[in-house]
Amino acid sequence: MTEPLLQARGLVQEFPVRGQGGVHGGVVQALSGVSLDIVRGETLSVVGETGSGKSTLARCVMQAPPPKSGDVVFQGTSLGPLRGAALRDARRSMQMIFQDPYTSLDPLWSVARIVAEPLVAAGMRDRAKRRQRVGELLEQVGLDVSVHGRRRARELSGGQCQRVAIARALAASPALIIADEAVSSLDVLVQAQVLNLLEGLRTTLGLSYLFIAHDLALVKQVSDRVAVMYLGRLCETGPADEVYAHPRHPYTVELLDAVPRVEQAELGKRPSGDLPAAGEAASPVNPPSGCRFRTRCPRAQSRCAAETPVLAAPSGADPGHLVACHFPVTVDAPTAAASGTVAG
Amino acid sequence: MTIPASNAAAIAVPAQRSRARGRLRQSLYIYLPAALLILIIFMCFIYPLIVSVPAPVGGSVLNADLPAGTPGHLLGTDDSGNDLFSRLLYGGRVSLEVGAATQVIGLVLGGLIGMVAGYSRGLLSAVLMRVLDIFIAFPSLVLALAIAEGLGPGELHVIWALSFYSVPAFARLARGATLRLRDQNYMLAASMSGTPRWRIILFHLAPNLLPQQLTFALLGAGVAIIQEGALSFLSLGVPPPGASWGNMIASGMNTLSVRPSLVLLPSLALLITVVALNLLGDGLRARWSAR
Amino acid sequence: MTAAPVTGPASTPVLEVKDLSVRFRPRGRSEVHAVSGLNYSVPAGHTVAIIGESGSGKTASSRAIMGLLPRSAQASGSVLLSGTELLGLSPRALRKHRGRDVAMIFQDPARSLNPTMKIGPQIAEAVRTHTKMSRAEARERAIELFTLVRLSAPAQRYDEYPHQLSGGMRQRVMIAMALSCSPKLLIADEATTALDVTTQAQIMRLLAELQERLGMAILMISHDLGLAASYADEVVVMYAGRTVEHAPVRELFRNVRMPYTSALLGAVPRLDRAAHTPLPVIQGRPPDLSVELAGCPFAPRCPRADERCSEQRPPFAEHKQGHWYACWYPLPDGEQAAAAGAR
Repeated sequence: MTEPLLQARGLVQEFPVRGQGGVHGGVVQALSGVSLDIVRGETLSVVGETGSGKSTLARCVMQAPPPKSGDVVFQGTSLGPLRGAALRDARRSMQMIFQDPYTSLDPLWSVARIVAEPLVAAGMRDRAKRRQRVGELLEQVGLDVSVHGRRRARELSGGQCQRVAIARALAASPALIIADEAVSSLDVLVQAQVLNLLEGLRTTLGLSYLFIAHDLALVKQVSDRVAVMYLGRLCETGPADEVYAHPRHPYTVELLDAVPRVEQAELGKRPSGDLPAAGEAASPVNPPSGCRFRTRCPRAQSRCAAETPVLAAPSGADPGHLVACHFPVTVDAPTAAASGTVAG
Repeated sequence: MTIPASNAAAIAVPAQRSRARGRLRQSLYIYLPAALLILIIFMCFIYPLIVSVPAPVGGSVLNADLPAGTPGHLLGTDDSGNDLFSRLLYGGRVSLEVGAATQVIGLVLGGLIGMVAGYSRGLLSAVLMRVLDIFIAFPSLVLALAIAEGLGPGELHVIWALSFYSVPAFARLARGATLRLRDQNYMLAASMSGTPRWRIILFHLAPNLLPQQLTFALLGAGVAIIQEGALSFLSLGVPPPGASWGNMIASGMNTLSVRPSLVLLPSLALLITVVALNLLGDGLRARWSAR
Repeated sequence: MTAAPVTGPASTPVLEVKDLSVRFRPRGRSEVHAVSGLNYSVPAGHTVAIIGESGSGKTASSRAIMGLLPRSAQASGSVLLSGTELLGLSPRALRKHRGRDVAMIFQDPARSLNPTMKIGPQIAEAVRTHTKMSRAEARERAIELFTLVRLSAPAQRYDEYPHQLSGGMRQRVMIAMALSCSPKLLIADEATTALDVTTQAQIMRLLAELQERLGMAILMISHDLGLAASYADEVVVMYAGRTVEHAPVRELFRNVRMPYTSALLGAVPRLDRAAHTPLPVIQGRPPDLSVELAGCPFAPRCPRADERCSEQRPPFAEHKQGHWYACWYPLPDGEQAAAAGAR
């Protein structure tokens, strides 16, 4: 069996909280032991709400900054102990696309120079060769070097900026692209264009993706596998179709229930957002003991506070489908999108 | 078309900016003071090379206190017989040289220190900033006075003295801006592209800091020129009989009621130069932050 | 709320927008026609969604209604709030209406709440601006409102600062502030865009419940068709400053006519599609609004367009009962559904 492209083990990340006034700051436990694998050629999406730690996960994988503990093995090399030039080299095949298209490009640099930067860093000295490669890369993302090459970020639209960012990522000949909410700031039609572009590149270049997103429908669109996060821990992972059709973790169920749908069958039916008082008590600075979701969970019992659930395959289910819950949902609540019917 | 709907402040604002009429008013604030400064620089440095102007020093006492309009002495002479116009021009050289030199030293040295302090983390950054803080803690003029006193009079010493203030000032500015820019996504992207740290600092960080640093330099030049004037006024700058706007004012103070022009003319020259620098600095800042 | 058919209600609709146009004159540039000829009405107890991408004019139109346009903007046409003309009112007169008859909630609650003031007094201030309550009464009312919007521990919240609350809770505070004087119309401008999907569902449910209870009309401005599908009674689709399609929600999604609306629908990722299916895309971008366009503004990008579309603007008319659109070659009945099913 071939080794996975990326292996993250037990990632832990914390940030100090600056105290306000007399309150002495605590520590934000952004990630508390997250492990995942990405196989070559697959798209893994990490889904979660604000505060789930998904963006922190992406940064940890990139070692920017490195996690407090845990390790990331990329293309067989462990990244944790590396520094400086060694880290740069080992990491080169991993590239990232950010959420805000404008701030991910140096406002003073021209598009051509931005896309050429990875080439320069990799040692391509021949200017003519670089120019040619930049032209190829821009063409691959649907831009024209003679038209767009001289422009600056502020002269481009959001979608065009993202394309430039993608071209820059491709210039490093990556094996893995991390897309951190890469299309969330774009309009619907532009988003579709960029998603199609990413999909096309995936097949032509054999890329793998780590998609960080909060939009569940988007995630379903692009993913092979899905990982659901809540407050720094993984709740559920597995093949996307499987997880969406048979969600086992109560949080996944809640998420899927809440998605507003355009599908015909659901017209007139609202997503169920039940109306308990919005306590939203769980915070990453002081997360609940045991299972962190228990304060919101309709199935929580005393065991959930005492014992932290571990990711495991529930009996009778697909072994690739893991859930971290003491009382996973077993009955197929018909929230499943695949069937197009609606939850009661 | 290019602003996402999520930006609540933007209401259908197109991204392309036309280069024409809209910036006219802003441009006035830039081009007029710039033209004025170019004129001043020309007069002080180039004019005496092309048009023969009486020497600013070594005038004969026999020619003392000639009024303005005397043939050969456009603005008259001072009480030592030196041509006023010429002294204004040569004095201007001193002011402009001091202004430029202190800011260039500050920009380069201070900017570098500030960028390093901002980009690095931990001990190096903290130590650098505390050292600079010590210098900034002194009122700038007092600091300059002390150093000039220690070094003795002379234009070069004035430049050193004033640089003791401008370097920390620039460093602090650069560090603040660096802290803000350091976590921008394009910096991280550059790092991911494999660009080594020194290149990031030099080619990403520095150019983005430059507009702010330049406007600070222009405003700082004005301040430095006035401080030079003060130092010279206190006999710590250019020693007489050398011309400097500051020491011209100082010597003219004695005969203020009789010949006010000895004080007024260099003061006016100072005023115009500093105002021009300020306007240009403001104009550029407005232009660059409006982008 | 069930999707009520759009027939003219017997009473005056809460909001009536007639032929609204907004023009901007940014410095040194030619005039931008942000909104041209907008028409719709919102009856009491109904929710109308204005859907559009950036540059469609939806935000400008909502600002025009609230009188929040910048000085460089000119609005023409008519905006009637329960029969009272809002356009052209003096700022003072507008202020009387704002908060009391019409309230607005924005996308970013962090920017709309004063970070240096406790939230309780901020609501109380809003209440006392429009009513003659005493400080104590206003405080009572504020806590009452917090309970109404299902904010936990409402009495405690009164003395908290905005930064102590999460995004969802802050948006609830905004809703509380908007509702403080029981407005007849609530304008929600991308109000849930920045919220998590679960919070969004809760907020939208809350608004629906409040609407039912108070008979409030809601004008929802959004780019999210899914949201409109789930919560609106009527949908107005805008493109390049104009309405391109306007229909009751079920009718719109079942029988889409405008290729643009169809493109929007097609481009939205859906849960019922298999992964890695390519999304149907339309190339290009919305037109520059500073140029007066001949023909249909969508023509350059439309897969169904021909010369006629580029030269003659199709009329915006009620081609079918309740379903308005402007297109020379509209999609036939049910095509969207068929296309969606085929994927």
